[in-house]
Amino acid sequence: MRHRFDVRIGPVGFRIGSDWLGPITQLEELYRDYPEPRDGIPDFTVRLFAARPWRRFVRPAITIAGDYTIPDAAPLPLAQGLLAAEMGMNLQMALAQRRYLLLHASAVERDGRALLMTGESGSGKSTLAALLSARGWRLMGDEFALVDLDDGSVHAFPRLLSLKNEAISVVELTLPAARFGPRMEGTPKGAIRHLVPNAQAIEAMELPAAPALLLFPSFGFVAETRPVPPSEVFIRLTQASTNYVALGERGFDALIRIVAGVPAHAIDYPDTASAVTQVEALWDAL
Amino acid sequence: MSDEPSEIPQGATRRRALMLGAVGASAIVSIRPALAQVSASISTCEIQVPDRARAGKYIAADGTPVPAGTKGAFAPASRPFTGQEVKQALAGGNLPGIEYERSQAYTKYIRRLQSGTSGFTCFASLQMPRG
Amino acid sequence: MYRAAAPATLRIVPLDDLTAIYHRASGITHLVASPVPELLAALSEPLTLVRLAKRLGEEFYLSDGEALAARLDELVASGLAEQL
Repeated sequence: MRHRFDVRIGPVGFRIGSDWLGPITQLEELYRDYPEPRDGIPDFTVRLFAARPWRRFVRPAITIAGDYTIPDAAPLPLAQGLLAAEMGMNLQMALAQRRYLLLHASAVERDGRALLMTGESGSGKSTLAALLSARGWRLMGDEFALVDLDDGSVHAFPRLLSLKNEAISVVELTLPAARFGPRMEGTPKGAIRHLVPNAQAIEAMELPAAPALLLFPSFGFVAETRPVPPSEVFIRLTQASTNYVALGERGFDALIRIVAGVPAHAIDYPDTASAVTQVEALWDAL
Repeated sequence: MSDEPSEIPQGATRRRALMLGAVGASAIVSIRPALAQVSASISTCEIQVPDRARAGKYIAADGTPVPAGTKGAFAPASRPFTGQEVKQALAGGNLPGIEYERSQAYTKYIRRLQSGTSGFTCFASLQMPRG
Repeated sequence: MYRAAAPATLRIVPLDDLTAIYHRASGITHLVASPVPELLAALSEPLTLVRLAKRLGEEFYLSDGEALAARLDELVASGLAEQL
């Protein structure tokens, strides 16, 4: 690989290699305040490469590969190189992370306790995490929550937050002083813009937090909150975890610990202001 | 065999009913691996019709690959389909830019993909339930 | 005759009206509804269908005898019990 970038996010170190300089320059700029992998040794490697030699120059298209890959993935245009790097990192975690139970959830922290929000794409977990980080909550991550297999604590994994479509302008207005990546149009998910986690999130990256509240948000409905019973939480979290099955009994134990010990609610919300109010009310009522 | 008679002797406590459910119903859900959480990659994965190992074959109306030029069968797709396009077709829509009968044949081919054929991983990931 | 998987291989955690079971021998997690936990408890020793129905009948009022065979087939298919 001609160009390379190493970075540590929470407990995980990555090396990203690229046939093009552009995506590496963007990563270096956006992750400039992040540390290096421990002892300089990354846990996972991502490769952004040209599938054919001429693909470096003619309608350049990035094929994503790395230690772990899904075959048949379509390449992305060079203009979406930053997205390709982030997807590559997601892929390594989703396929190969075994030291933590991974939940597809955003996480924010207050007073040493973590709030987790999980749901499908479009549920608002990234947007809500960004908005809460403007209200004094420490951002722990928006894509994966890492659950410790020994003690059940949540470890921060604060990657660039991935904001999509309408959420982009909502967050730009709420966080005018924040740093953002480039706005990318025409991605498989529409328009995407990345938000750089703030200094508080980066500095506290190594501090875990005890999970205290689990939420299942749904956007676009009349405001309503309902508690979610343990068996429903269990099933929904197995579906929100990419490595639950691979972890065997340790994964089962970690999930039972959450289900038995962390209150869970589903919140329907019509707009983000309403969601923030509902979330903070549930937290204060704990 | 038959159930115990339901008469309750004097002084005995009533037994709790044990609902055995219906013959066709299920009382067990087994958790399957959730590969589909890699959501961004899923929407960009591709399926070729037919797959590379069967390049050049035509697709019959029932989705089986047949020799090129077979009467009533459809020529290979001119470009691979994305995971997103296939997901919509599996839900009842049409593959883009393709008329109904050809789209039906292609969709049946995709449903028949077996493990080991290129394109299967993409298809399998489309089938996994998402949280 | 039917018998539940060995107790050492089953990690059973009741949640609410459903129970989570991790089956160590297969690595598969099952979420089960009544009467599965009751059947697994009754099958701690090998029993025929008839004896199982009798044993259950001592503690419960059985709703429908025919479905018992269907539930046992499901248990065997899932690996949580075996047919000897």
